[in-house]
Amino acid sequence: MAEVGQQHPIKVYALVWLLLFVFSIGSYFVDYLDFQGHLRWFLIIVFMLLKAGFIVAIFMHMKWERWTLITAILVPPLVLLVLMYLLAFEAEYAWASRIVYFGDEVSPIPAPPPTHVGAH
Amino acid sequence: MAEAAHEESGPLTTIVNDWSSDVSTFKAVPWGKAMMWIFLLSDTFIFTSFLVSYMTVRMTSTDPWPEPSAVFALEFLGTPVPLLLIAIMTFILITSSGTMAMAVNMGYARRKKQVFWLMLATALLGASFVGMQAFEWTKLITGEGVKAWTNPMGSAQFGSFFFMITGFHGLHVSAGVVYLAIVAWRVLRGKYEHTNYEIVEITGLYWHFVDLVWVFIFAFFYLW
Amino acid sequence: MATAEIPYQETMPLHHPKTWIGKYVFSQDHKVIAVQYGITAIAVGLVALVLSDLMRIQIAWPGEMAWFVEDFYYQSITMHGMIMVIYLLTAFLLGAFGNFTVPLMCGARDMVFPFVNMLSYWVYLISVIILLLGYIPGLGGPTGAGWTLYPPQTITEGTPGADWGITTMLASLAVFIVAFTMGGLNYITTILQARTRGMSLMRMPLTVWGIFVATFLGLLAFPALFVSAVMMILDLKIGTSFFMPAIVSLGETLAYDGGQPLLFQHLFWFFGHPEVYIVALPAFGVVSDLISVHARKNIFGYRLMVWALVFIGILSFIVWAHHMFVAGMHPYFGFFFATTTLIIAVPTAIKVYNWILTLWKANIKLTVPMLYALSFVLTFIMGGITGLFLGNVIIDIPLSDTYFVVAHFHMVMGVSPILAIFGGIYHWYPKLTGRMLNDTVGKWHFWITFLGTYIIYFPMHYLGFIGVPRRYYENFDSSFYPQSAQDLNELISVTALFVGAAQLLYIGNLIWSYFYGKPAGDNPWGANSLEWCTPDTPPSHGNWGDKLPTVHRWAYDYSVPGAERDFIPQNVPQEQTA
Repeated sequence: MAEVGQQHPIKVYALVWLLLFVFSIGSYFVDYLDFQGHLRWFLIIVFMLLKAGFIVAIFMHMKWERWTLITAILVPPLVLLVLMYLLAFEAEYAWASRIVYFGDEVSPIPAPPPTHVGAH
Repeated sequence: MAEAAHEESGPLTTIVNDWSSDVSTFKAVPWGKAMMWIFLLSDTFIFTSFLVSYMTVRMTSTDPWPEPSAVFALEFLGTPVPLLLIAIMTFILITSSGTMAMAVNMGYARRKKQVFWLMLATALLGASFVGMQAFEWTKLITGEGVKAWTNPMGSAQFGSFFFMITGFHGLHVSAGVVYLAIVAWRVLRGKYEHTNYEIVEITGLYWHFVDLVWVFIFAFFYLW
Repeated sequence: MATAEIPYQETMPLHHPKTWIGKYVFSQDHKVIAVQYGITAIAVGLVALVLSDLMRIQIAWPGEMAWFVEDFYYQSITMHGMIMVIYLLTAFLLGAFGNFTVPLMCGARDMVFPFVNMLSYWVYLISVIILLLGYIPGLGGPTGAGWTLYPPQTITEGTPGADWGITTMLASLAVFIVAFTMGGLNYITTILQARTRGMSLMRMPLTVWGIFVATFLGLLAFPALFVSAVMMILDLKIGTSFFMPAIVSLGETLAYDGGQPLLFQHLFWFFGHPEVYIVALPAFGVVSDLISVHARKNIFGYRLMVWALVFIGILSFIVWAHHMFVAGMHPYFGFFFATTTLIIAVPTAIKVYNWILTLWKANIKLTVPMLYALSFVLTFIMGGITGLFLGNVIIDIPLSDTYFVVAHFHMVMGVSPILAIFGGIYHWYPKLTGRMLNDTVGKWHFWITFLGTYIIYFPMHYLGFIGVPRRYYENFDSSFYPQSAQDLNELISVTALFVGAAQLLYIGNLIWSYFYGKPAGDNPWGANSLEWCTPDTPPSHGNWGDKLPTVHRWAYDYSVPGAERDFIPQNVPQEQTA
């Protein structure tokens, strides 16, 4: 069990540090290589969760805490997923309503993204 | 003896045993650390509320949303490199998290000097992050003409949310720099000699949280 | 259960001030902070009470007070609502009761971080002062947007206080949230980490459980309010359009464009619905304890009571949009939120049944705190059942924005928690001061308040059913408005003035008894929980003298067969009563 205090070998920190660099480069290249659509979202979320997971687990020592603390801290934010899901659900409806009722004055389709890779 | 018995059983048993014990629920967790964790939980709700608001307004916006990777590109050797500054800022923040983690390690080894220097390095990295953010803001305001209330490239809320969310995060970083500096100074003066240096770990929790928030801002603001 | 070592609480260093100011003004003692919170909350609550009486005069006799113009009416509505919900009820139940009971009932010497606890009070005081800055003359007065502060109307011209008033309101809320966070972190950490030997969570009195769950809700819900306050201030001061759509106001096209007003309502109610339980759960806890103590019987279904609190707390985060059935949100949401809302009836009903079953065949002592507790159950049932009406979309839509809603929420989260507060003060006053409150005055106050509030709010249901809209400055000339409704309005207003004035009885009682009340002794009610076991009454700084108490049983051993007395305090070992 966890001693009072959290002391772990520097090697672990260095490894995680390196991993975080790798994941950051990964997510950076998602943008640089201009992936689009589901693949882009999938990669963004995966890299984000990996980074967040390692920060919480290693740097914040969650991995070595007792299950009591882990669950007490990590479970309550789940209600935020409900908020997020429902607001996203509604946002599509609101967007569609705006198009239906004010359709003439706005451009419903966002302008195509400017390509920057290979420009110039 | 009882403790050892808990360890052999699974997570569920640990949870039940801890919650039904007397004195303290989070075993071997100092008061300050428990308090910091709960504060961070509350702060998570603040940042998520910001990000969810951003999501809602962006999804309902009928004006075109600017492409962040183009907006935040930097000229490097004559070519615009997308998100260059953001990438550097991310690396700086990760590095500062690394030095902070090492400071915690040194703290429990009771190596006062190393703790001080590592925390100072963390604070300086944090300060340079804030400096780059100031540069980024300036470039956006003067160069691209993006203001909190208007945006020549489309939806006005792009600027609003950008300045609000990164500003709020920047405030957290700045507060963290001050917090780190104070704790580092007090460590050097031997204020925590009689304790277990858990204050360094508590400060570290806050600092890593700031890094954690940046991970989400990076994903949702710059990559979306 | 192993009785663990107490590493830190026993020897926790306490700040021992030498000066009077250090002892009674900038005190770090949780009991003094509780009194400071309580006095401030009551003072600001009296302001809100006077505002409500002014509104009642206007509603019953429109135009009689020439100076009470439309703007002032709307400002009074807003300030009354916000003060009552946030600055009185939240601050009193958590700031005053929380501070007083948590360390005493858990067997701690003080809150874990007394200095932060002290700051919490002073920041709260600052937030109250900022709120009242809205009344500075010449700046347009406080906001008149209603306590829900919905944009766009809140910050557009024509709404009273659309410039200065709303700024002070939002700033004050943000500061209050900071104060609450500092206090709340302390309550939670104290309850989780600093209990005494033998005090497991399932031996805690329900008061502490109520405060615990409510504080947790507060820490997770107030952030949404904080965020919406920040965003609205930016909309107002910088001209961002988070909540403001393109809009024509008073014939003028404003510079706003593309914001989402519904977002504010979602954020507000993501905070606002848990807020209802932040107010209700401590009241549940207090009432459970009062009923058990004064009925001389263990609380029925203790474990279920705890789980009901927790379950209500969790559910409160996924029901928020039942406040928005007519807001124009996604049409599918009605079904989801009506369902989750009605599920809340289950744990709430469990609590009500358990209170009633606690009373069943009990040795009921009709002391004044007991009267308040019993009346709480009655008003809460009343307000809870009308909640079922409003939770159903199809019934809510015609009843929205009528007096039915006013009646519902005043019953369930206005009158009920206030009655619990009155009962709680009455119950703990002897421990706080060492003197009893005056029973005769207490009974007069109780009957006037209890019957009075029924006369005030019961007819409002009828007014709602016939369609009288809420928040209207003047209804008198509307053709659908029958004379009977106006007669009822006059009855309500007369009663409200009378009940409002009667509150002075209680305050007078508090002051008079402090000097002349009957000496109380250590345990006047024969109660079990730890606060009645302190070596001194009132408890000294540090609460427990040299050694912390050890807990051997739950707090509800009343009328145990074969026991010497009809109560066994928590620190009496099992063997001594076998």
